[in-house]
Amino acid sequence: MALLVGMLCPATGALLITHRRLLQANLTSHAVVPGIVLGLAIGLDPAFGGVLSGLIGVLVAERLSLKRNAENEAVINTVLAGTLGLGVLLIPLLEIRVDLESILFGDLLAVGGIDLMRICLAAIVLLLVLKTSYQKLVYLGLDPDGAAASGLRISSLRLVLGFVTAIVVVSSMAAVGVVLVIGLLSAPALFGLYQAPSLYSAMIRSAGFGILFSSIGFLLAIAFNLSPGPLIACLCLLSLLVLGRFN
Amino acid sequence: MTNLIARGLSFSYGKELALNDVSLELKSGTLTALVGPNGAGKSTLLRLLQGQSLPEQGDIFLDQNPLGTHRHQVALMPQRSSINWNFPITVEALVSLGQVKSAKRSCCDTEASLQRVGLSALAKKRLDSLSGGQQQRALLAKTLSQKASVFLLDEPCAALDPPSRAQFLRLARQLAQAGLTVLVSSHDWGKALNAYDKVITLDKTVLAFGTPEDVQSKLQLINSMGNHCCG
Repeated sequence: MALLVGMLCPATGALLITHRRLLQANLTSHAVVPGIVLGLAIGLDPAFGGVLSGLIGVLVAERLSLKRNAENEAVINTVLAGTLGLGVLLIPLLEIRVDLESILFGDLLAVGGIDLMRICLAAIVLLLVLKTSYQKLVYLGLDPDGAAASGLRISSLRLVLGFVTAIVVVSSMAAVGVVLVIGLLSAPALFGLYQAPSLYSAMIRSAGFGILFSSIGFLLAIAFNLSPGPLIACLCLLSLLVLGRFN
Repeated sequence: MTNLIARGLSFSYGKELALNDVSLELKSGTLTALVGPNGAGKSTLLRLLQGQSLPEQGDIFLDQNPLGTHRHQVALMPQRSSINWNFPITVEALVSLGQVKSAKRSCCDTEASLQRVGLSALAKKRLDSLSGGQQQRALLAKTLSQKASVFLLDEPCAALDPPSRAQFLRLARQLAQAGLTVLVSSHDWGKALNAYDKVITLDKTVLAFGTPEDVQSKLQLINSMGNHCCG
């Protein structure tokens, strides 16, 4: 599970960084919380609720951002805080028992078969999207205006990106939590992107670095009896120092 | 060999009028400059002529045909600022994006476009390792690989040094000599306009349209009447 999450998150992160969508990914990672809580409350698969509310969060932010173009980051962060707040409030309002800490920070040592299935499903979705839309995604990331001019459906492609982000975040929840997942989406991808000749190559390299990060984090967690999610996040932070010297 | 004709184009962003009653005719085999101050509506006009946005009023034709059904014949090279230059991509992969909507993609088309702009030797290089002038030529090669007959180039010479600018304009001239219709939006005034066959001066509406000499004399008249937007 650690290896799968370590591979999938950075590969997706490389895609998001090149599309300048990491802030939206951070929003998604928080906006999945109300859906997870609602899913648990009504007896649905919380992953389904999480993907849905993550997507809704991104769509709401994009809708509001269109009207306030100059303050996009502020709008995104406000939606991020609002959706997370809503998720936290829903727990006492719906009177359900939820381990909020494991949703936010994960518990890799307690993952089960269903979590493994989710991460495999997320990987399949990512591979399918790359198989069918790789060239279009490259065009969109490189030159959004040119992509629109050539007749590509930009909003559909961005919705697909939002969906991939939501499903990757939700499926990684059990391992590293929806808050710490952003570290795995970012740091290994920064290494992977360095001098990569193509997006595909950057994603493969990022996945490789991600496997390295999560393996080290997981082994250290077992050795020192610590929680793997926060440990991996700290490793991501330390890795930036290495990257700074490298650059 | 395609003539592009626009009649009475108007466009607004909300309540702000961007273009008002713009008419022009671009003949095949001509190199035309589109000049005007910031906010004159140059990029908006190019987007309308490419069919990316629809005019609120007016019509655009390619020869006798409405633009809508023949949009693929018009290619737009975007402004430098709209490109994500840090994107991990090689020059040849960038050029092949010009055919992203084509049913049949050909490596020969990519190679031919690169040869046309003199970048074949740099095909495997990462885009962000190129100089500013080389990057612009790579963008032009991508635009050329679309196999259009009308090329709209949005400020291709912005941020280029004079030699790179001259080289780029020579390329644009070669395209026109090959029978293509080429419109180049530009901030260059004065003698730089002499490199073009025709010049359109735009400030939300067409202030002058003709040969460089005609336009410069018309602009002097306009300026003497108190409008100092141009030149």
